Amino acid sequence: MPELYLRLLNRILTPVLLLLALFLLIRGHNLPGGGFIAGLMAASAFQLQILSRGHVIVRRTIGPYLNSSIGLGLALAVLAGITGLLDGSFFQGVWFSLSLPLLGYLKLGTPIIFDLGVFLVVVSFATSYLLGLSRVSATGERLRDDSASPVLSDDSSLDSPDLRVETGRGANS
Amino acid sequence: MISLLLAIAVGSLFASGTYLILRRGQIKLILGLALLSHGVNLLLFGSGRLVEGRPPIFLNKADYAETITSSLPADPLPQALILTAIVISFGITAFVIVLVHRRHTVTQTDYVHGEFVPLLREGDPFDFSESTDTDQYDWLAYEVDEVYDTDDLRTSIPPPPPSEQDESTAMEEDQYRWP
Amino acid sequence: MALSANLLAVPVAAPLLTAALILLFARWGGRTLIRHQIALTTLALCINLAVAALLFQATAGQGERFVLQLGAWEAPFGITVYGDGLSATLLLLTALVALAVYPFAVATIDYHRARMGFHPLYLFLLTGVNGAFLAGDLFNLYVFFEVLLMASFVLLTVGAQPAQTNSGIRYVVLNLLASTVFLVAAGIAYGTLGTLNMAQIAERLPLASPAVRTVFAGLLLVGFGSKAAIFPLFFWLPASYHTPPPAVTALFGGLLTKVGVYTLFRSFTLFFPELLLTWQPALLTIAGATMLVGALGALAQPGLRRVLSFHIISHVGFMLMGLGVALSGNSLAIGFGLGAAIIYLCHHMIIKTALIMAGGAVELYMGSDRLASIGGLVTRQPLLAFLFFMAAISLAGVPPFSGFVSKLSLLQITLDTRHWFVSGVSIFASLLTMINMMRLWRESFWGDYNRPSRVPSRILQSGARQQLMLTPVAVLVLLSLILGIWGEPALRLSMQVAHQALDRQAYIEAVSPAGYISTPSTKRPIGLSDPVAPNSPAKLPGSTSTTLLVSR
Repeated sequence: MPELYLRLLNRILTPVLLLLALFLLIRGHNLPGGGFIAGLMAASAFQLQILSRGHVIVRRTIGPYLNSSIGLGLALAVLAGITGLLDGSFFQGVWFSLSLPLLGYLKLGTPIIFDLGVFLVVVSFATSYLLGLSRVSATGERLRDDSASPVLSDDSSLDSPDLRVETGRGANS
Repeated sequence: MISLLLAIAVGSLFASGTYLILRRGQIKLILGLALLSHGVNLLLFGSGRLVEGRPPIFLNKADYAETITSSLPADPLPQALILTAIVISFGITAFVIVLVHRRHTVTQTDYVHGEFVPLLREGDPFDFSESTDTDQYDWLAYEVDEVYDTDDLRTSIPPPPPSEQDESTAMEEDQYRWP
Repeated sequence: MALSANLLAVPVAAPLLTAALILLFARWGGRTLIRHQIALTTLALCINLAVAALLFQATAGQGERFVLQLGAWEAPFGITVYGDGLSATLLLLTALVALAVYPFAVATIDYHRARMGFHPLYLFLLTGVNGAFLAGDLFNLYVFFEVLLMASFVLLTVGAQPAQTNSGIRYVVLNLLASTVFLVAAGIAYGTLGTLNMAQIAERLPLASPAVRTVFAGLLLVGFGSKAAIFPLFFWLPASYHTPPPAVTALFGGLLTKVGVYTLFRSFTLFFPELLLTWQPALLTIAGATMLVGALGALAQPGLRRVLSFHIISHVGFMLMGLGVALSGNSLAIGFGLGAAIIYLCHHMIIKTALIMAGGAVELYMGSDRLASIGGLVTRQPLLAFLFFMAAISLAGVPPFSGFVSKLSLLQITLDTRHWFVSGVSIFASLLTMINMMRLWRESFWGDYNRPSRVPSRILQSGARQQLMLTPVAVLVLLSLILGIWGEPALRLSMQVAHQALDRQAYIEAVSPAGYISTPSTKRPIGLSDPVAPNSPAKLPGSTSTTLLVSR
């Protein structure tokens, strides 16, 4: 269900959201921000895509990479911990600094790699969850239309509790 | 005062969460779990120092020494704990929502019944002599695939349709339909 | 050979990294890549076993303690990973059980579940279990609990059969409630004691008011006890363990409740050993009720796996009985109860996994586990019948096996400390176990051959698969036999482990050698409740009052 206004908004907002996510990710070591929040921000950008362009297109574009990037993020996070062994202890921060010609002085370390891993995990997990939920809502609409499957209500106005117990395949376990 | 308000809030969140979990509906179950996790988060929040307008981190030591003698600084740890707890409860709520939806599609009911209700309805719960429903333990309703054993068996199985291969998320409907 | 404390990271990092790599490459291939997943998983399980064996040799054998401060932050400020004999014993058994169940899982898990990520989930579960055994502070314990719970949720419900989703709801909700209770306990510990580090809690708890201690202990007992399936809190277990594939049930039955038992052992011996004396009647009552309810419930069950899952509950009662008599007035008996409970834990993890796998094999051959409708398998599968019989009599406690040694030592200490009633209950529960095991064997192996399933079993036709299924069962039964024959050295080793676990002062010193923890801090945080009640003694002499009754 592509929406016109959302599509227009999407063109402006998605790059802004992604840039903001990147900003939050990078500043997150000493200031508010970090991998998780940046990941949620990026996932909200993808959710905007889902809302404006429909979940099918988004699924086709980024869907195949979600599981892999969860794995990549986890692997990055663990590897950042293992890199600390170089400095003596597991998960010890290893820092090295670069002096760039124009920008000045840049300090890099394993925490940023760890944060990048967290970011990848969060954004892929949240996006795949949102994609799944949008599919659920699409299925729900289809179900509501044909109403072939009556859903037992939780209404307590039914008289005896026995009547509300489902029999059949699901009721025994 | 603020502690009292927090205690009341935590208590009422726990009470309503417990009440919702004890109901029979699945949606109420989800809401109840969410309320419980919010109650715990609030409790963790209250477990730190509830001080107003004092920073947790000082960049110069003189400032720190001054603050620590006059009054206590703020406690930064509960934020980290709450953030972790929120992340975990976020993931678990996502899982429970998907599970509830899956259960709704396979069993066509919103009703969470007790385990022994079907047994009790049949009269004598300990009379197992004749099993009326053969597919009660029906996880074996499908047959185990031969994929690991030998090559000739593997080739006898058709490859999955291409539409199945580029699916990514773990929530595809048709993967659950067993042959 | 001095081992580095960094070795403690391997049981968590190796399965996690392997699972991540599997997820990373999972997309790029279908059926053939599952073979690569299996190879990678096997590699990770072997590494895990090797490291656990090294740690066990160093800690339980030589009495060392390993402490890893993550990121080199000192103890009360950073994250502590702690490994001693108790942790290493459980790590070793977990590695063994995971490696033993894995061939069975490879043989019996279908392609769909494998594609939905069964193999990485197996590793995630292992990550969570290992992390819970190694955690040195309450909050990381909570996090690893959630990791293993999350993996177990998905393992339990993947496949989405109706029975699985039904049981999944119950399992998820009850376990989440237990986690919530535990998190409340952690929050109260932070609010009143101002720390989450377990060593520092152990140091500060004797200074806290009795109300705080009682509430903290009660919440921990409810939270951990619900994970361990003790008497009034066990309902999630028999409601869910019979629905997933047998490999998953074997893994759960071997590992999950044992995490709860381990945390009960750890928290009660470290935090409030004095409560082991004052709460002894309550603990022993719960233990007796757990044993009795588990065994009686098993007697009433119609299905093979339901009987076995009720027996898990019954055996948790035995372990709790060992914890209940861990400290007693008799100074000679200190640690003996805990040692007996530890060896019972070893026996239980080994033989229960073997028995559930054998029962799962029966179920796969028969297509059903309903005892009334199967039978006569002994003529078709004599090897399986033999292994099942051996495992069953070991579980019931017949002499050459490990069940005899562990039950005998538990009974000995219980009788020595004059707890006549609970020892009588345990003997009765053992008798019921024997009756149940004989019932299982008679119903499923004797009689006329009766196979209710209409679907022809393809497992019967594949020799390689049968070997994969039966070899781990045979190995585990053999291990149980070895543990039973060399019972005396094993018992001595577990006594050492128990004494190491009961030595609180050494724990605190090992975690913080620089002494950040053991200096009693006068500054108290302002929390929801007053940290020190006015009527409690303001200053106890810190270290002497905290070491309670431990003689080495």
